[in-house]
Amino acid sequence: MAFEDVWKKISWLYYQYILVTALYMLEPWERAIFNSILISVAGMAVYTGYVFMPQHIMAILQYFEMVQ
Amino acid sequence: MTESSANKPANGQVCHRVKNGVKPGRNGFIKNHHHYHHQQPMYCYPEDKVQHTACNGSSGLGLYSRPFIESFEETPMLVAVLTYMGYGILTIFGYLRDFLRDWKIERCHVAREREEQRDFVPLYQDFENFYTRNLYMRIRDSWNRPICSVPGAKVDLVERVSPDYNWTFDYTGKVVEGVINMGSYNYLGFAENTGYCADASAEVTMKYGVGVASTRQEMGNLDRHEEMEELVAKFLGVESAMAFGMGFATNSMNIPALTGKGCLILSDELNHASLVLGARLSGSTIRVFKHNNMQSLEKMLRDAIVHGQPRTHRPWKKILILVEGIYSMEGSIVRLPEVIALKKRYRAYLYLDEAHSIGALGPGGRGVVDYFGLDPRDVDVMMGTFTKSFGAAGGYIGGRKELLEYLRSHSHSAVYAASMSPPVVEQIIASMKCIMGEDGTTLGRDRVQQLAENTLYFRRRLTEMGFIIYGNSDSPVVPMMLYMPAKIGAFGREMLKRNIGVVVVGFPATPIIESRARFCISAAHTKDMLDTALSVISEVGDLLQVKYSRHERLPSLD
Repeated sequence: MAFEDVWKKISWLYYQYILVTALYMLEPWERAIFNSILISVAGMAVYTGYVFMPQHIMAILQYFEMVQ
Repeated sequence: MTESSANKPANGQVCHRVKNGVKPGRNGFIKNHHHYHHQQPMYCYPEDKVQHTACNGSSGLGLYSRPFIESFEETPMLVAVLTYMGYGILTIFGYLRDFLRDWKIERCHVAREREEQRDFVPLYQDFENFYTRNLYMRIRDSWNRPICSVPGAKVDLVERVSPDYNWTFDYTGKVVEGVINMGSYNYLGFAENTGYCADASAEVTMKYGVGVASTRQEMGNLDRHEEMEELVAKFLGVESAMAFGMGFATNSMNIPALTGKGCLILSDELNHASLVLGARLSGSTIRVFKHNNMQSLEKMLRDAIVHGQPRTHRPWKKILILVEGIYSMEGSIVRLPEVIALKKRYRAYLYLDEAHSIGALGPGGRGVVDYFGLDPRDVDVMMGTFTKSFGAAGGYIGGRKELLEYLRSHSHSAVYAASMSPPVVEQIIASMKCIMGEDGTTLGRDRVQQLAENTLYFRRRLTEMGFIIYGNSDSPVVPMMLYMPAKIGAFGREMLKRNIGVVVVGFPATPIIESRARFCISAAHTKDMLDTALSVISEVGDLLQVKYSRHERLPSLD
């Protein structure tokens, strides 16, 4: 029951995303291209953040001389 | 900043400013014009008919005898940015598709030259149709829907499906019945196939046939035409009138007869294509003033009179101001008292195109002149069409007798176009008599009142729901803003799924980010139909998230 509501909500959110980015007017293969490019770019950003975040935080803390 | 009549409240009361701050807009008058905040009377939609007159007549308190409430709410910034982003994505995919079509990876449905003529000068200009090919075609099923019944308050549509994304359509053979019609220009409900007007037209067809087979000047001048023109002149309150077969042709063929080289035409920014075409065909100098902005118009008049023609500085032969009664894309009403005051002061001529306002405004249905309580003799050329409120087709021009005698011999449309068909003429005569009350019933007056009530009710409910609605609160044309390109197609389709037919408009009829859905209220709509339509519009509005308005609304106890 809760899963149904969650699924409906996600479906509605996807519909809003489709409308705002004008993907609603495009054919399914065009939507697939756009979504895959968007997901790959977002995925790469998340991965880079995950890999480099500790090094960046250490560099900031060293700049502010809070840790050696 | 000097106070102008645009900023003063219309009837001399103290103006209660809107709470969320008012900035002077670019046009020199305040963008959000809300003079009435809490003072709306309770609109009981009653069994006891309350007189909802649309005008009080002039009372001497300044130029406007009733409040002039117009609002054009500004586009929210986030919505504008997202709309541009949407158009950007569509443009990129448009380039991709054009590339695929050019390299023959995809089949091309657009008109192309034949193989043998590939190296000739191109006949079909490819890039200019970029918008049509790549944006319009994708949502084309919201337009050109075939109708198979009379377009009254409810209409039947032919169902169609498209297997290849709107390049071609197939008919399933079924008919969608009883679609509530919010798109036809049927303001007084005369588009009907039963009743007094339809019977009169049928009788005349039996007597005169359908085609006239001649122009007015040769053998096409029937006695019905003469009677109709006298009736139109009486209806408008002018000396004489003349009718033409097509409303567009009335404007585009008669403005060249009135002005020529050495004349100046001052035309409103948002004038209809027929007025623009007529002005260009005439060869006069055209200057455009900002929409409904009297300061801009006055400045242009003063400049024209002081400086004269461009290089020689001779005085202009004549100055013609082109305005419309109701602007159909904005729903705004022209500020006619101010235009007439300016015209009299600077000795210019006024051409008023009442295509949408004749029959729809004013206590007697006589148009925008009646609505403001002015004298019809002040307007030099009163033009209008029979398509909208009279359920017929064609246009008319009314004015002084000398003007009409001149037009009868010098206008292209009068000399070359075929005469109006007899059943159409009879429909005009019958509907006009009905509106004037000359057929002995109060049907006309009831319809005008019903339209005024419907308009106020519908507009009030829509603004309360939180949509952005443009235009004057008395105009039966109600544009509702959608902004994003995907929502144009989505709105049309979702409304049709729920059995309501609407007209959605995008570029190039409107500015690129200001796409809208335009509702036309009719006297034939009952309150139940309007309530059904409103609940469906609210539901679709929530689904699509188009309730953009940021003003606070106090819902009335209705």
